[in-house]
Amino acid sequence: MANPRRVKMVAKQIRRELSDMLLTDKVLQYAVLPEAALGADRYLSSLTTISDVEVSADLQVVKVYVSVFGDERGKEVALAGLKSKAKYVRSELGKRMKLRLTPEIRFIEDESLERGSRVLAILDKIKDENDKKTTEDSQNWYEFEIKHGFASSRGGSFSTFTPWSISFQPVSTMEI
Amino acid sequence: MAKAIPRIGSRRNGRIGSRKSARRIPKGVIHVQASFNNTIVTVTDVRGRVVSWSSVGTCGFKGTRRGTPFAAQTAAANAIRTVVDQGMQRVEVMIKSLGLGRDAALRAIHEVVYY
Repeated sequence: MANPRRVKMVAKQIRRELSDMLLTDKVLQYAVLPEAALGADRYLSSLTTISDVEVSADLQVVKVYVSVFGDERGKEVALAGLKSKAKYVRSELGKRMKLRLTPEIRFIEDESLERGSRVLAILDKIKDENDKKTTEDSQNWYEFEIKHGFASSRGGSFSTFTPWSISFQPVSTMEI
Repeated sequence: MAKAIPRIGSRRNGRIGSRKSARRIPKGVIHVQASFNNTIVTVTDVRGRVVSWSSVGTCGFKGTRRGTPFAAQTAAANAIRTVVDQGMQRVEVMIKSLGLGRDAALRAIHEVVYY
């Protein structure tokens, strides 16, 4: 089939073209965000981004992962609008790119960015709790060192160990 | 090209110190330029005069990692940190170009706001 490097290059080019279309093409923008047609250029309710483009090995099927920022309704509207314009997008792509066979385009909702930011938020929370516990614990350990004359490096390494195992348990029910 | 700021008096005054020290701006604009390889976040006031900026490169990322959404998130958080203390209450976000940083920076700003 096609050279894998060529597949990657085609994917990159399709991504560039699709991004350009999303930015400049009025028809697409209106499909994604109906209020853009009213001229409301500064107060948009949702934001669509093309996060990834995957091309099959024979260059016939293109999966476009779209991530929408906004509420539930905005997401549905945006995705429905894109899916209804799939044929239009395919013909536009054919006009812009020189390919033997213009691939079929499928729009898929991408939740990985949301999931990623949620995981990051949870990690930040754990880190904050950890920091709070280490500052409390390290104070206790400090007193312990002074009383018993331990080396400060050993006390430091102990204090980072114990709170980590404690703080993990209540957060074990993570929904991702 | 600087924005036209009306000058009072002649040039005898010289430079008026550091005019941007502790400017209380309740309303501002955050510009996010999210290209494929980088994300630059600039905080300005409503007229467009820059208050502070941060980019993924200044946050310590290099190479291909600059294009990732996580990097955009850290850059946005970094840019807002300096401004939150100045008491900014209403912010408009203007986004340029299509990149992964678009979504991620917006999410980061949203999270900082709804701490």
